[in-house]
Amino acid sequence: MKNWKQELIKCVMAASMAVSLFGCKGEKGASGPQKVVISNSGSDTMVNLAQMWAEEYQKIKPEVSVEVAGGGSGVGIRDLIQGIVDIANCSRDLTDAEKEQAKRNTGKEPVEWIVGYDALAVYVHKSNPVESLTLEQLASVYAEGGPVDKWSQLNIDMKAAGGNDEIVRVSRQNSSGTYFYFREVVLGNKDYKPGSRDMSGSKDVVELVGKTIGAIGYSGMGYVTDAVKFVKLSAGEGKPAYEPSLENVAAGHYPLARSLLMYTDGQPQGAAKEYIEWILSPAGQEIVKKAGYIPVAASGK
Amino acid sequence: MKNHGNTKNLFAATELINKKLRAQRIVKWIFGLMSVAILIPLVGLTTCLIIRAWPSLTWDFLTDVPKQGMRSGGIWSALVGTMYTVTFSLLVAVPVGVMAGIYLNEYARDNWFTRIVNLAVVNLAGVPSIVHALFGLGAFVVFAGLGKSILSASLTLAIMTLPVIIVSTKEALLAVPLTFRMACWNLGASRWQTIRTIVLPNSIGGILTGIILQVCRAAGETAPIMFTGAVFYKAVQRGDLFPYKPTEQFMALSYHLHTISTQVPGVPESMLYATAVVLLGFVLAFNTIAIVLRTRIRNRKKW
Repeated sequence: MKNWKQELIKCVMAASMAVSLFGCKGEKGASGPQKVVISNSGSDTMVNLAQMWAEEYQKIKPEVSVEVAGGGSGVGIRDLIQGIVDIANCSRDLTDAEKEQAKRNTGKEPVEWIVGYDALAVYVHKSNPVESLTLEQLASVYAEGGPVDKWSQLNIDMKAAGGNDEIVRVSRQNSSGTYFYFREVVLGNKDYKPGSRDMSGSKDVVELVGKTIGAIGYSGMGYVTDAVKFVKLSAGEGKPAYEPSLENVAAGHYPLARSLLMYTDGQPQGAAKEYIEWILSPAGQEIVKKAGYIPVAASGK
Repeated sequence: MKNHGNTKNLFAATELINKKLRAQRIVKWIFGLMSVAILIPLVGLTTCLIIRAWPSLTWDFLTDVPKQGMRSGGIWSALVGTMYTVTFSLLVAVPVGVMAGIYLNEYARDNWFTRIVNLAVVNLAGVPSIVHALFGLGAFVVFAGLGKSILSASLTLAIMTLPVIIVSTKEALLAVPLTFRMACWNLGASRWQTIRTIVLPNSIGGILTGIILQVCRAAGETAPIMFTGAVFYKAVQRGDLFPYKPTEQFMALSYHLHTISTQVPGVPESMLYATAVVLLGFVLAFNTIAIVLRTRIRNRKKW
């Protein structure tokens, strides 16, 4: 009786000692070499790019650890307004109301940094015969009251591709910057037609389109896969249609090019400042290209 | 003598007995089949996972950090994050839960207050994890000002696991026969002496089992941590045992599995499955400890 009890107590004590050692050392070890943490949250379009920056920066500055969180541009902006994030990623501009709120809450004016460009791509299934669409056509598919619900209305025969004639509209959740950008530029600030599939991630949109022959969706150009293809877009009837590509965005041809932005509360200090400077340097911009987006310098803007 | 034949017939199988035996056989087979059926999903799931994960399951996968946009490398940062949150949450939940369980079972009188506490515990145990997540966000991240951090996430997990630890502690104590306590009291021992020397040693196995099962739950839950501190990515060094301060955000296995399967394009399929296998392995390892402890201690039981 005595024996096993002591054995057990020893076990438990050893375990709890190991645990407390583990815990204490965690705090001690971390505060040893001056470790700096930069928090970075927001846009889902940019989350993989932000991750690649963070990963690469770790190699250059091991003492700086960058935290990357996604959730959508809206999440980044909310964090920025609350002042709990160092750098917010955005795939849309801050509204004046949001700037005002941030200033009131943190006492600092948000500062904007253009860190790259994205061509917002319109995706369809790879067997879809559609080649190009105009922005009006897109609006008539997506906007509330838009008359187009079937591919045949766009003169596209889905029979050959083996899909349904009905257009499956894939959209984003409303904390997404991409959602707002598309609504503003393509829909002219009209509301979305009800009944679309609102996905909570850029990758989800492309994945669903890749699995559904009659689907159409929009997402950052970096998310392209083998199962989908880009639709060429033209600004209007009779105007030439362009594919989302580095060249077309740089030349200013592609109608849905947008800036990828970072916001800070006031001018960034210390590590955050160095980080943004590095992002804008050739080394940081090389990663923009690698992630499938367009570096600042390549764009004609 | 006359009755001899009759007596014999009395023990021969009648129609009724045969019917009963048939029913008994059928029922036995059906029940047995159901027990085997439980194994099918478990075995199927694990083999399917392991086969698909095999190309990625290496030692490097465990100890390396995610690389190339999380499309290669390993899961070290997430593994350590999960260990941190599980450990911190246990450090909070176990002392509180076990002591509360002991009080409720050994000291508390059966009055309205105890009944309310018991009701609260049972109801808390049934609260869905997403609700705990929102509570954690409000209480720890915003109100207590801990921010999104390991601390907030661990405390949220602790709140989530606490009720079950209390209930399982109570159950384990309840399994110790009252006569043991009575014998002890009659020798003049106080309640605390009785608990320390008789009740706890006889129930420690059950208590530990309850705790360990909660470790599995804390490791696997995603909702509570993604609201309170888990991030998409955090840059840490390979093999670093202490990459996070308690006030920092962190990566966790369950959330990592969620992000690489829904957010990151071009992740090799085997990496997704390998992450799932590691999470499953983490949980199974703890379950095994629970089982071993339980059998070892059951063998020593005196009744």
